[in-house]
Amino acid sequence: MSSVLNLISTHQSSGAVSRMIAYWERHVPRESIVVAYGGTRSEFETIEYEQKFFVDDPRLRTRDHQREFQSYTQLLQMAAEFLKTRGDQFQFVHFAEYDHLPLVEDLNERQIKMLTAEGADLLAFHVHRVDGTNDPHFLYHAADLDFINYWAAITRRPDPEVVLTMFGSGGFWRREAFCTVLAIKEPFPIYMELYLPTLAHHLGFRVRDFGAQNHFVRVLKDETDYIDQARKEGAWTLHPVKRLWDK
Amino acid sequence: MRKLIRSLVLRIAQTIGTQIRDFESGRSLGRALIIPWRGKLHVIGLKVAVRPMFQPQKRLTYWKQEIVFAEYPSPDFPRIPQVGPETAGRGGSPEPPATRKLNSGTGD
Repeated sequence: MSSVLNLISTHQSSGAVSRMIAYWERHVPRESIVVAYGGTRSEFETIEYEQKFFVDDPRLRTRDHQREFQSYTQLLQMAAEFLKTRGDQFQFVHFAEYDHLPLVEDLNERQIKMLTAEGADLLAFHVHRVDGTNDPHFLYHAADLDFINYWAAITRRPDPEVVLTMFGSGGFWRREAFCTVLAIKEPFPIYMELYLPTLAHHLGFRVRDFGAQNHFVRVLKDETDYIDQARKEGAWTLHPVKRLWDK
Repeated sequence: MRKLIRSLVLRIAQTIGTQIRDFESGRSLGRALIIPWRGKLHVIGLKVAVRPMFQPQKRLTYWKQEIVFAEYPSPDFPRIPQVGPETAGRGGSPEPPATRKLNSGTGD
């Protein structure tokens, strides 16, 4: 029985979701897959998969994600609720957007091994410290003193000024960190790529980077035609793969 | 149209701009235009997140200082032992001050 909950967010058609699940089943156990749906309610109802939930949150459905402070908080909180319904079965949470593709059959085992080796509570892609830098997302938030003051109010660490960023398309959490972070109510809109790693850090959890795997997680260019090559180059996952579920 | 102009400006900045190097490692961080304007330094085209700082000087000079740039090392903070989710946060509450306004800078 898997100890990893594989949480996949998508807004695509029910047909695309079925093809996506069929693909994922070749890499992780079916019973470990949960679909968090951010499309329309009517489309959600047609998805033929039992482990699914509908996320009715306008802050998930942003267009200009950074300026509108896109949030995954509600989505992940619903996943935390799902975790509780399964008792202690799942000790880790692997979150992935629909276009963040698993490429290896022992993905979860590799993630657990790396998390353990790093002594980490959260493994994410492109983790950087950005306070005091020219990072655009940090500067956009730093214009609001509430953002700066918030971390000082909640931190368990000696330096309240630390702000971390990560790439939002995927991450691997230890359950304790996941549930503790998601038990917190988001105080005001904060872009999720800053909010999640910074909150985890200030609550005392160790946030680490996927290191060499960052190379296979990029921002803009669709990687659908690059899957085999990425696998040969040692990728565990690949992002963004936009067209694989089209038909 | 605006996106096209912005892309063009960025292309120019990253071609003819000054080479930015990490102050500590010497690693190249790319090119960017640095333009002084109305008492500020405008940095155009720099892709990497860096901290600006005045460079320490081995020789005391009163007439010139240099601003340099440095990347943070990859975050590697230790884990702080948890004492239970109910005690998360300095205030001992899993509900941080959701509505608390700490910013009193407006004087309201």
